[in-house]
Amino acid sequence: MFFEAQNLTKRFGGITAVSDLSFSIEREEIVAIFGPNGSGKTTLLSLIAGVVRPTAGILIWKSRRLEGRPPHEIAAAGIVKTFQNPQLFAELSVTQHVMIAAHLRLQRQLGVRRIKTLFRADGGSAELADRVDHVLRLCRLTELRDEPAVSLSYGAEKMLGVAMALMCEPELLLLDEPATGLGQEEIRNLDGVLRDLRDHGTTLCVIDHRVGFLGRLADRAIAMHHGSKLAEGAPGDVLRDAGVVEAYLGRPHA
Amino acid sequence: MKRLAWLLLFAVPLLVHDEVVLTILVFTYILGMLAVSFNLIFGYTGQLSMFHAAAFGVGAYVTELAMTHLGVSFWVGMLLAALFVEGISLVVGSICFRFKLREFYFAVVTLAFSEMVRLVVLNWNSVTNGSLGINLTTKPTIWIPTQGLIPVEGTRMWYYLSLVALMAMVVTCTRIVHSWMGRCFAAIRLNDGLANALGIDVFRYQLVSFLVGNAGAAIAGALYAYYLGYIEPGYLSIDQSLAIVAMVLLGGRASMIGPIIGALILTALPHIINFSAELRVMIYGLILILTILVMPKGIVGTLAALRAAPAAAGSYAKRSDVL
Repeated sequence: MFFEAQNLTKRFGGITAVSDLSFSIEREEIVAIFGPNGSGKTTLLSLIAGVVRPTAGILIWKSRRLEGRPPHEIAAAGIVKTFQNPQLFAELSVTQHVMIAAHLRLQRQLGVRRIKTLFRADGGSAELADRVDHVLRLCRLTELRDEPAVSLSYGAEKMLGVAMALMCEPELLLLDEPATGLGQEEIRNLDGVLRDLRDHGTTLCVIDHRVGFLGRLADRAIAMHHGSKLAEGAPGDVLRDAGVVEAYLGRPHA
Repeated sequence: MKRLAWLLLFAVPLLVHDEVVLTILVFTYILGMLAVSFNLIFGYTGQLSMFHAAAFGVGAYVTELAMTHLGVSFWVGMLLAALFVEGISLVVGSICFRFKLREFYFAVVTLAFSEMVRLVVLNWNSVTNGSLGINLTTKPTIWIPTQGLIPVEGTRMWYYLSLVALMAMVVTCTRIVHSWMGRCFAAIRLNDGLANALGIDVFRYQLVSFLVGNAGAAIAGALYAYYLGYIEPGYLSIDQSLAIVAMVLLGGRASMIGPIIGALILTALPHIINFSAELRVMIYGLILILTILVMPKGIVGTLAALRAAPAAAGSYAKRSDVL
């Protein structure tokens, strides 16, 4: 089993954000999660990434239990999440962001030997230069590479979030509304980047309200409402599901 | 440019024969080490540690105790002191970082630990001689090719010893700051939630920064004590912690040179104008307040901003040309 959630529940005080949810993700597929605002999508990704702890239920990643482990261990195990509201290191440049995100790569590549790079003048950044260039090009950030993150547009901030996540080289990448704030051209690029990732062996789980973009991209979709699973299946079928339409648009009058 | 500056500093005793100036510089270098090591924790990792004076004082005391009771040389004593301080720091740091204490809370708890250590030093008369302190009669020795093992005596020898020590500290800290480890520190300072999400073990690197910084303080403490010739519990006082914070804020926390400039000004000031000890603490407080209000980036940060300002205006003009 690649990834599985069983009876996952998260309560914040009296509010149940995720309620008894079970689903699984297969290797190298793109799973879309649909649902109106407040249906628990973001909480679900936060639970998987370890940012919040589940109230009940279990998470299984490659036959090991995941729940209750801190975010950095989950990231090191191969699951990385991007943030819905771009999270950045304000004053640092785009390149510096991606360099910081290379931490896990360096850790995997060099292990304890990375201590030795401390005695070199470049501090271990030579190993990363090519990879940093590649990721920046992929996310169309090359021209902005020396800009401080505070000066970026919302769309560029989102792409920087994706770039940092790519630098972590996850096996399972969780994307929280990656297309929000992007223009048509940028969405097409994002679509290409994500398909390319999948083709190279990364599994994706994506939340977005751009149902057109995500519907075409995903292999499978899960629709959520009030923290529970409403429908699951091929994206087209899920989006046409009467319950899903009603959750999104409300019950038709007359 | 930087190499030239270091070379110039090595040439100072050849050009300047005023003992007072050289003495001020020796104190500047040793306190500069203290400020630079503090800045690794405060400026680069973003943790306002009030434990630095304790690490400084314990470093001094343990060096002396190791030399007296174990009969080791100054350098071995200093190494043992650094190890001892690492032990205490591991306990204090683990507690603070495990409970995710931030900013004000971290400062208060480390201050409490610092006071605990000071009270032990003050009251453990049989070992530390309490408030009277200990007079140090021995000197560190160094080996010089033609002369063999000789004690470090006189302002000139101390000048070179402290300058080399400061240089070693600056080089070490610069390497760390510009490495992947420094990137982890910056990530923790700027957004620890994001750092965590990117796989950085925040607890571990907070602790590493705390340990490296405190080891630097212990070494500075040993040198300071043996230059001055006596140790007393005042080394571990809140005043000392405050002085370190003042040096870093005044000089500028975003650079390696800033804390050294801060150390120079706050060391030279009492010599230029004769202050009483009470007045000195007040002056530190005043400098702290004024720096935070008038130039929060410190001297180095403010100068850098002034130098960058015309350039930024130029690039703005270029952009408006395009429009």
